[in-house]
Amino acid sequence: MQRHVVARAADLPPGSSLIVELGGRSIGVFNHEGRLHALRNSCPHHGAPLCLGAVTGRMTPSPTHTYEYSHEPVLRCPWHGYEFDLEDGRSKLHPDTLRVKTYRVEREADEIVVYS
Amino acid sequence: MIVDCDVHPYFSNGLEDLTPYMSESWQQRLGIGQSASWSKNFAASQFVLPLDYLYINTAGATRLDSSPDGKIPGSDPAFMAEQLLDGHGIDRAVLIAGHLFGIGAFPDPEVAATVAAAYNDWQQERWLEFDRRYRGAIVVAPQHPEAAVAEIDRCADRDGIVAIFLPLHEIALGESHYYPVYAAAERHGLPIITHPSGTENVFARAPRMASTPTYYIEWHTGLGQIHQSNVLSLLCHGVFERFPKLKVTIAEGGFMWAIETMLKLDRDWQALRDEIPWVKRPPSEYLREHIRFTTQPFVEPHRSEQVEQILDMAYADETLVFASDYPHWDFDDPKRALAAVSPERRRRICEDNGQALFGDRLN
Repeated sequence: MQRHVVARAADLPPGSSLIVELGGRSIGVFNHEGRLHALRNSCPHHGAPLCLGAVTGRMTPSPTHTYEYSHEPVLRCPWHGYEFDLEDGRSKLHPDTLRVKTYRVEREADEIVVYS
Repeated sequence: MIVDCDVHPYFSNGLEDLTPYMSESWQQRLGIGQSASWSKNFAASQFVLPLDYLYINTAGATRLDSSPDGKIPGSDPAFMAEQLLDGHGIDRAVLIAGHLFGIGAFPDPEVAATVAAAYNDWQQERWLEFDRRYRGAIVVAPQHPEAAVAEIDRCADRDGIVAIFLPLHEIALGESHYYPVYAAAERHGLPIITHPSGTENVFARAPRMASTPTYYIEWHTGLGQIHQSNVLSLLCHGVFERFPKLKVTIAEGGFMWAIETMLKLDRDWQALRDEIPWVKRPPSEYLREHIRFTTQPFVEPHRSEQVEQILDMAYADETLVFASDYPHWDFDDPKRALAAVSPERRRRICEDNGQALFGDRLN
């Protein structure tokens, strides 16, 4: 496993993200409310640049004609709106068959480090 | 040469973008441009392009990566060339007026015709002259056949024009209302393209769905209803007997319903053709010769091997032409969306059929 310094911690504040090229792979690194996540920047559906999508909450299943919005974050693909868990990369609708690769990412001193 | 039959250029600032292409009198009538002050006070005192104001897409309606620097998606010819043409290997993109889908709903036919003509000049200058890979469809006012014919005659020989975009209207496509437009299309060798209007059931003169959908997802999934009605109308009125060189392309309405339409119509025609004796051959034969469907949004059956079965039944080698629908949210990439299709058939859909449809005008 290789260690890659991808940013200074100050350059990736909460609510921001960046896209880096590591070993020929495009990877998105997210800081969501202080927690770091790294995912491959390619949607397993049609290959869209997944990490250009937004980290948002979503509607959760609810009784008919009611809405229940959850702030639990998902990464939403910029093309077709498929939603992925930031933590394990699994699709919210098809967790067993659709999954984007995730990478270990750490804050080490004042650096953001991705292991791939 | 990959041909994309449904790409949408957008204005940056609504109707105001058309100001340079309209007379001062028409600017005053529409309340656009510097001198028209009457229209700036209140929502109902402004002319707006009829669009889908009631069915709201909660996924954002466009590809989220298609609006760099906060620009309106599809409004920058240079960025579109980079993202769509270079990025997805599209060699020819046929432009369908993104903001004008709904002009068939304007109560005043002269307004629709004036907006259409101004758009055609804007498209020519801003898009077709910018990059030769862009090709244009002349947009016409469907509620004003006389002006539509004049507009086709005015623009047909311009560089880069390959088709006529006929927005949908409350009158079905097989009715005689449209015959002058079809005659002009034949005369100039231009195929007609239709596209969902975004105004279905919202405005009185818009095309209608069988009932008013509650949700965007109902509206979007059910758009094939309108196209099915129009295909039946074209076939049963014998439009292709009257206009044997006419081609009609149905954009963004799916095509699986066309399988049932062909089979059921052929069967009914056996017994009922006394009602429409001018339909001299099984109706599906006219459909296969004259009607084309764009691929997007492409079928995603539960078992991927069913894709080829569906394409067999739809006579896809003749009837399907590729479209991405850029920059909309349900965009299709030619390779990824059609990954389950054999390479030979993919070449027919993405290259050969589009070239046959538009002919030398694509060169």
